[in-house]
Amino acid sequence: MRTILVPGELISDKTMHGEGIIVENGKSYASVIGIYDSERQGFIPLESIWSPQQGENVVGVIDEAKLNTYNVNLHSPYKGVIISKYAEGGLSNGDIIEATVRGLDKTGVAVLVRPRVLRGGKLISIKPSKIPRVLGRGNTMIKQISDYTKTSISIGMNGVVWLNGGDIDLATDAIERIQSEAHITGLTEKIGEMLKSNEKR
Amino acid sequence: MKSDDIMEEEIELMKNGKRLDGRGPGDLRPMSITANVIKNANGSAYMEWGNNRIIAAVYGPSEALPKHTANPDKAVVKCRYMMAPFSSISEHGRPGMNRRAVEISKVTREVFEHAILVDKFPGCEINIYIEILQSDGGTRAAGITCAAVALASSGIPMRDMPYSVSAGNINETVVIDLNMIEDMASDADMPVAILPRNNEVVLLQMDGSFTKEQFDSAMELIRKSGEYISNLQKKALKEPYEKIIDRYA
Repeated sequence: MRTILVPGELISDKTMHGEGIIVENGKSYASVIGIYDSERQGFIPLESIWSPQQGENVVGVIDEAKLNTYNVNLHSPYKGVIISKYAEGGLSNGDIIEATVRGLDKTGVAVLVRPRVLRGGKLISIKPSKIPRVLGRGNTMIKQISDYTKTSISIGMNGVVWLNGGDIDLATDAIERIQSEAHITGLTEKIGEMLKSNEKR
Repeated sequence: MKSDDIMEEEIELMKNGKRLDGRGPGDLRPMSITANVIKNANGSAYMEWGNNRIIAAVYGPSEALPKHTANPDKAVVKCRYMMAPFSSISEHGRPGMNRRAVEISKVTREVFEHAILVDKFPGCEINIYIEILQSDGGTRAAGITCAAVALASSGIPMRDMPYSVSAGNINETVVIDLNMIEDMASDADMPVAILPRNNEVVLLQMDGSFTKEQFDSAMELIRKSGEYISNLQKKALKEPYEKIIDRYA
């Protein structure tokens, strides 16, 4: 049984842990809008604010090159920073990069390592809470999209997606449909059908 | 909020237990809420409450600017309540950023400081904009109710979703949800905002006076109608998702 819950609504009489849950007097309440699956006993947020976790992949744009650091716009409350010695060959303003989060420093800035410059293509922004859905279980969803459309796709956990080559419009449509229908079960098959029917045309 | 010059002649606010617009003492005006109406905002909501028309939008959390307003321990909530230049009739709440708008922005901010889990976003700011497109009394209550839906739709974590409604005193009768004429001519007007899960009162202002018994029955009336308002807020948030589920059912 899947029920949609809004902030303040009771999830369970037991203590639960996870994103979007607050515990008061041993009971668990939702703090964001989300879905509670009573069989798996899990709460999945439908809306959330992204916060950087170690090892996550992000996509951003260099907005300032300083003496020994680069500031990265991550389209989120957190700024990213790359220390120059990790950026081989140097970066310049406006470069789109994909990088890995090493951690948050004391001032709430995400330290990024292993930047890779992404050339050409386009960026779209989607809700960070829907990223796991876009990736799919074991990255099946995103593999399916790039196989059908021949588009190379980079996904940042911060909600920024980079697309290049192939049928970009179809890939964008598919990702946007996943965003709006993320709470539907069996979405991978539905997106597969959508891609197949568009391929024939 | 009382203005004596407009009400030179005595109006009969209650007649045979009915109010000017035909409501009983405990009846709310008809209302509806829609979530996600502004694409650019992180969260937004539009509300119609009687003749009130309100739009609320939430931006953030983002880096707090100017820098000196940032708090390294928690997010700062910034709120702007504003009436549109065409929003009201007569002198009830003049448009623009004036003393009244500053006051309402402040009390609204304090409501949401209690509701939002501010310690999750140190150094950030959360901007709440409440715009009154048409006003007919009780706009601060409607603004809070609408902004709560906008906040929830943005995904900013909250302890609870506040609702707000005003109670008043017309000729020793306790009434709920005053409209503009009642607001100006009644003996008392009391907007209250409540976090419904624990019935925590996060806003209580009072114009005029209640006896202790009247105050108690006013609070009871507010809690009773709050259940209805709260359910409407929840419905507005769940509806867009349920629509998609129904499409596949």
